[in-house]
Amino acid sequence: MLMPKKVKFRKQQKGKMRGKAWRGSTLSFGDYGLKVMECGYITDRQIEASRIAMTRFIKRGGKVWLRLFPDKPITKKPAEVRMGSGKGALDHWVAVVRPGKILFEMEGVAPEIAKEAMRLASNKLPLKTTFVQRHDVKVVAAK
Amino acid sequence: MSEAVLASLREGKFNKNAARRVRAAGQIPAVVYGAGQESQAIVLDPKVITRILHSESGHNTIFDLSVGSAAPIKAMIVDWQYEPIKGKLLHIDLKRIAMDKAMRVSVPVMLIGTATGVKNQGGILDQVLREVEIECLPGDIPSHIDVDVTNLGLHQAIHVSDLPHGGKFKFIEDEGAVVAHVTIVKEEAPVEAVAAAEPEVAKKGKEAAPAADAAKK
Repeated sequence: MLMPKKVKFRKQQKGKMRGKAWRGSTLSFGDYGLKVMECGYITDRQIEASRIAMTRFIKRGGKVWLRLFPDKPITKKPAEVRMGSGKGALDHWVAVVRPGKILFEMEGVAPEIAKEAMRLASNKLPLKTTFVQRHDVKVVAAK
Repeated sequence: MSEAVLASLREGKFNKNAARRVRAAGQIPAVVYGAGQESQAIVLDPKVITRILHSESGHNTIFDLSVGSAAPIKAMIVDWQYEPIKGKLLHIDLKRIAMDKAMRVSVPVMLIGTATGVKNQGGILDQVLREVEIECLPGDIPSHIDVDVTNLGLHQAIHVSDLPHGGKFKFIEDEGAVVAHVTIVKEEAPVEAVAAAEPEVAKKGKEAAPAADAAKK
């Protein structure tokens, strides 16, 4: 699973997810993308499941970029343990996303294949998403 | 076709609240500067700007800008901001253009045809550089630069030096920069789901120095 190699602190506080994703909200690498429309956490397992769903569908036909990284540690106390006695042990990693962020990008496939691949990827995610593409993609394809 | 854009001077305060009121009224705040004159805060119709941005020449379109009752001037879009969720235009930067002075602009690169490496060798065409910076007179700005990629085989690349030279413009971009290349995508093996391992914790100051020495040894 994706996780940082080195961190400054082992555990983090919850934090807030206010505002919009002003950075990382435009397509930078590919022609198509999946934009998230609400804020939330996306876990390392969900990212991996989405990536596999996308790459299996396009069958080595295109290139995929991941624009998010799970860099926030989430801790959990064991079952049936009383409250207190400090923070729990590290359980998994999440990426904090704000509305407007591009999660994945894709290139080298037809628009309808990209759209279907992104739909399969979005089914693995806990948040509302939308498919985006460059406005000049059709012009290039027509030529 | 030369587009005509009507704008009016922005009045009152120039804070966030005033800008929101402008947007609520169906217009967008903008600024026009350049040509050695004072900058002006103006108000525009976003539909006209969207039409210009989505036109064939895109943001390099030169249009006649009339601010209030002043005589029309030649202007160009140099920067624009979109709202990240709904994609509405938020703010525009316009520049006054002197038609006899050379200027630097970014022009889109269009790849024409299907590469041999894609058709016969199972590669994918990756466009690294979507826009190149050129220097030319405002009247000579091309809407896009076309490159034929039909003969591009697997692991071959098109550089800026391969783009059609000798027109009315000169390239500012590094000649060795890769515009597009045909590559093969390696299939990544799915990562096995294991319990989250603890990452290395970075140490500070005196604690970090002995640890770094030990790692070197």
